[in-house]
Amino acid sequence: MRQTILFYRKEMLEMARNYKWIWVPLVFLLLGVMQPIMSYYMPEILQHAGNMPEGTVISMPTPTGGEVLAQTLSQYSVIGVLILVLSMMGMVASERQSGVASLIFAKPVSIVSYILAKWCSAITITAVSFLLGYAAAWYYTVQLIGPIQITHALAAGGVYLLWLCFVVSVTVLVSVGVSSTGGVAFVSLAFIALLSFISSLFAKVFMWSPSQLSGLAAEWLHYGESARPTFAILFTSIGSMALLLAVAMFIMRRKSPIGTHA
Amino acid sequence: MALLQVDRLSKIYQQHHAVQDISFSVEEGQCVALLGPNGAGKTTTINMLTGLIQPTSGGIHLYQQGTKVEDRRPYMGYLPQMPSFYSWMSGREFVCYAGQLHGLTRKEAEQRAAEWLQRVGLEEASRRKIGGYSGGMKQRLGFAQALIHRPKLLILDEPVSALDPVGRRDVLNLLRELQQETTILFSTHVLHDAEEICDQIIMMRDGRVAIQGQLDDIRDRYSEPVITVVAGNASNPQVKAWMTEISRKPYVLRSELQRESMTLTVSDLELAEREIWKDAMQHRIFIRRFEAGQSTLEDLFLKVVQS
Ligand SMILES: Nc1ncnc2c1ncn2[C@@H]1O[C@H](COP(=O)(O)OP(=O)(O)O)[C@@H](O)[C@H]1O
Ligand SMILES: [Mg+2]
Repeated sequence: MRQTILFYRKEMLEMARNYKWIWVPLVFLLLGVMQPIMSYYMPEILQHAGNMPEGTVISMPTPTGGEVLAQTLSQYSVIGVLILVLSMMGMVASERQSGVASLIFAKPVSIVSYILAKWCSAITITAVSFLLGYAAAWYYTVQLIGPIQITHALAAGGVYLLWLCFVVSVTVLVSVGVSSTGGVAFVSLAFIALLSFISSLFAKVFMWSPSQLSGLAAEWLHYGESARPTFAILFTSIGSMALLLAVAMFIMRRKSPIGTHA
Repeated sequence: MALLQVDRLSKIYQQHHAVQDISFSVEEGQCVALLGPNGAGKTTTINMLTGLIQPTSGGIHLYQQGTKVEDRRPYMGYLPQMPSFYSWMSGREFVCYAGQLHGLTRKEAEQRAAEWLQRVGLEEASRRKIGGYSGGMKQRLGFAQALIHRPKLLILDEPVSALDPVGRRDVLNLLRELQQETTILFSTHVLHDAEEICDQIIMMRDGRVAIQGQLDDIRDRYSEPVITVVAGNASNPQVKAWMTEISRKPYVLRSELQRESMTLTVSDLELAEREIWKDAMQHRIFIRRFEAGQSTLEDLFLKVVQS
């Protein structure tokens, strides 16, 4: 426990020193603010885009507050996930590559603490960044577009955060298993994209998959309810995150901490 | 009393025997050099001792007050060949972090970090980021982080190989001091470094132990009478013929011929000396230099490496 805290503090300090604590929250904040503002000004933007015959009246269905917030989440599903994976790809792989892992693991350290601290610190920055961006998106949506039911927004935010935590867990596992940081990013993103794609193709089979989390969040914002099996999805998501971490620890133990070649 | 016991240790990489069936033990307070050319298996052996890689077979036992310990790591300090650190940390932060990983409280770790950084001569740079350190400074930082928990056994992989002569001198002096405080095992491919501070050597070649023991014993046991002859006037074709003839004499065990000189390992120094002089006189060979003595460890090392 003591060691986990020590590792965790080191991770947090590292993320502060290399400015991750600035740019990751900033990206989420920008994405969050952008969507409601874009929606608000969209009719005017189109009006000034030119090429329209004089007197054209653009009538678009004004989106509801919930729809705009759902659009924000779909931004996070692309750019947000990309940023998270890129900012975390080196978590374990680069320490191995640089050789500092051979100093650390020659000391009486526990692999469980090491991985757990990596995961917790990644979750911390993810949660803070997402909640910041989501709160900003919510605020601007209410100001510019229209009201959103608080319980729906909260539930959707919580469910979506769980999806991001799942993404982080995948990245932690891949970072343990793959040696090059570029490879980590590629494999993680490919896995997440593939999982989302396949579970939208075979919705029945993947009914309980963690990839349903983002759809679940969007439906709650749109309709205030969802036909998906909410509790089953939450359960498999939390369960699979625990499994990903356990496998990461197992691989770390099997694989020499100094990599295959040292 | 044995501190470390290595028992028939092997490491195989895809049919390649990096380390093959080596056994040795290290007594408390000793300084042991793991000596061998590049590729001999020194780093692989050290990585197994520190637990960074798993042996294919064999055992490693560390004893603390006579009883075998489960986890060796708390009792060992390790400095790899090319240590790398977190470049965003300061030297002080890293050593302190290392101490805390070894279970020291923050306060203890800070205090000891300051002591060790001073001792290795890094106190001035200790607040600077490690990213700006030179190779020699990183080496010294590596010593500080390996020693902060006062290990029973200090393991160093080629600690002086990458250093300039001044840095090398500093590290050897530091090692000589540390010898009073702890047991040291270090690898090197330079015999001279081993001879300078160690009392025991383990010579490795191709993953096996070629020779091991006390330096003095090895010197006595393996030193042989050697004669070096430098003949004058190398352009004389007779010189070559004469040297070849001498090298075939029964009292010559091994010979090494150069253009105008030869080094002979002989069975009987007195006999050989008399015979060679006599023969040279008969053939009217001019001898510029004649040296009779004992083979050095260097000779032995070269023999082991090259055979
Ligand atoms: N991870 C590895 N995979 C395959 N072969 C290795 C690996 N590590 C070392 N070797 C081989 O094992 C032998 C011993 O290497 P090493 O222990 O590094 O020697 P030394 O440190 O004495 O120079 C070499 O032939 C090297 O190529
Ligand atoms: Mg080596």
